[in-house]
Amino acid sequence: MTQAEAERPTINLLDHVILLVIVLAIALIGNFVGPDIPILDALPGMFILYVITMVGLVVTKYAPFYLPSIAWISLVAMLVTLPWIPGQEWLGGHLEKVDFLALATPVLAYAGLAITRNEVDTFAKSGWKIVVVALLVFLGSYVSSAAVAQVVLTLQGEI
Amino acid sequence: MVEQRKSEESGDAAVSSLFRKLATEWKLHLVVVVLVIVSELIYIREIPLGPGIILLLPLLYAFILGGLLNPNVIRRSVGGLVRSREVRAASPYIVIAVMPLIAKFGTLVGPSMKTIIEAGPALILQELGNVGTVLFAFPVAVFLLRMGREVIGAAHSIAREPNVALISDKYGLTSKEGTGVMGVYITGTLFGTIFFAIMASLLGSLNLFHPYALGMACGIGSASMMAACTGSLANIFPQMEEQIVAFAGASNILTYGNGLYISLFVTIPICEFLYRRFGREEPEPASTTEGGAAR
Repeated sequence: MTQAEAERPTINLLDHVILLVIVLAIALIGNFVGPDIPILDALPGMFILYVITMVGLVVTKYAPFYLPSIAWISLVAMLVTLPWIPGQEWLGGHLEKVDFLALATPVLAYAGLAITRNEVDTFAKSGWKIVVVALLVFLGSYVSSAAVAQVVLTLQGEI
Repeated sequence: MVEQRKSEESGDAAVSSLFRKLATEWKLHLVVVVLVIVSELIYIREIPLGPGIILLLPLLYAFILGGLLNPNVIRRSVGGLVRSREVRAASPYIVIAVMPLIAKFGTLVGPSMKTIIEAGPALILQELGNVGTVLFAFPVAVFLLRMGREVIGAAHSIAREPNVALISDKYGLTSKEGTGVMGVYITGTLFGTIFFAIMASLLGSLNLFHPYALGMACGIGSASMMAACTGSLANIFPQMEEQIVAFAGASNILTYGNGLYISLFVTIPICEFLYRRFGREEPEPASTTEGGAAR
């Protein structure tokens, strides 16, 4: 927490205004090719996501206390789509035309292209034991979270 | 503060430096466009595996194809299309591209707020699933693999950025604990998304857990892990997509909020305690000097 305060990064809003358009345009193409949603149908939804993201970034920059931009963006997105907020159905109707997996594809394309020599070396150096432990960590967190959720949801009578 | 004022004063300079940046990066984006188109053309594929299925998602192909073009991964990548300039430019775009994805998840959480509040206790308590991480990974690491103090970094959490920062703060990244957390972090970066897609589709198709419970558990990792995880579940249970994604998104937001504290106050102390009882005896100085020159 102390360190999060110290590391409040400077956000260049102007850069994001343009760079977000690039990644959203790529997602828009993917959203058409895979999920087969016409570009013009998805355009308003993409624009809504663009505005939400920019609002989140502005809040990150000027909020009196620091939270990572990802947290602010989530909060803004959640707030404007709450069932009690006027116009949320209109937003939802447009957002439905943007497939979330189509938004994730460019993220992973950049991520594959961004793998550094250092990461490859660290991975090679870590050895197979760490990899085994890592996979157990993923499996363990996933299964135990699901198990706790299952028990509590059953106790609550939700499922 | 000073820096901020400077950037506002020189607006014109900022614009021209932005365009210079774009002029050098167009090739990267072109490659990404092609990767996205190819990946979305292949689209979602199902592979039957025993009693379950594994779902292959476009995001997985995009990552693998990106890796194959990356000269750091494959030394002689296809035609030298991607060079180190593109690799360096790509990294900030992961963060930028993840923002609208996070926004999209948020907009799926909002409308389901009533359901989420009703399932509140389950959502909050499943965050403690992290303790299960230790119980799964610790015994194997210590008793079977004879691992040293690396296990404290490796087994205490799913090792996303905040956990790495915490271990780095507490032990230093060149310590054994640091090596452990970095190993899991890198494995997660390289294989986490694929692993989450496989895990979610197998567990989903095996019918061991309710899809809601599996959805909540999708929120424990990074945004791309969550996308892979919920994407797989949503394809197996299309009629419950809305709730699965909403629960995952909500659980992910909770994880940002408390993941660090669960590591700090629960899982690291548990790991330390278990290691003192069952861990290997080793000479003290070995843990601090090794790798000290790496940074």
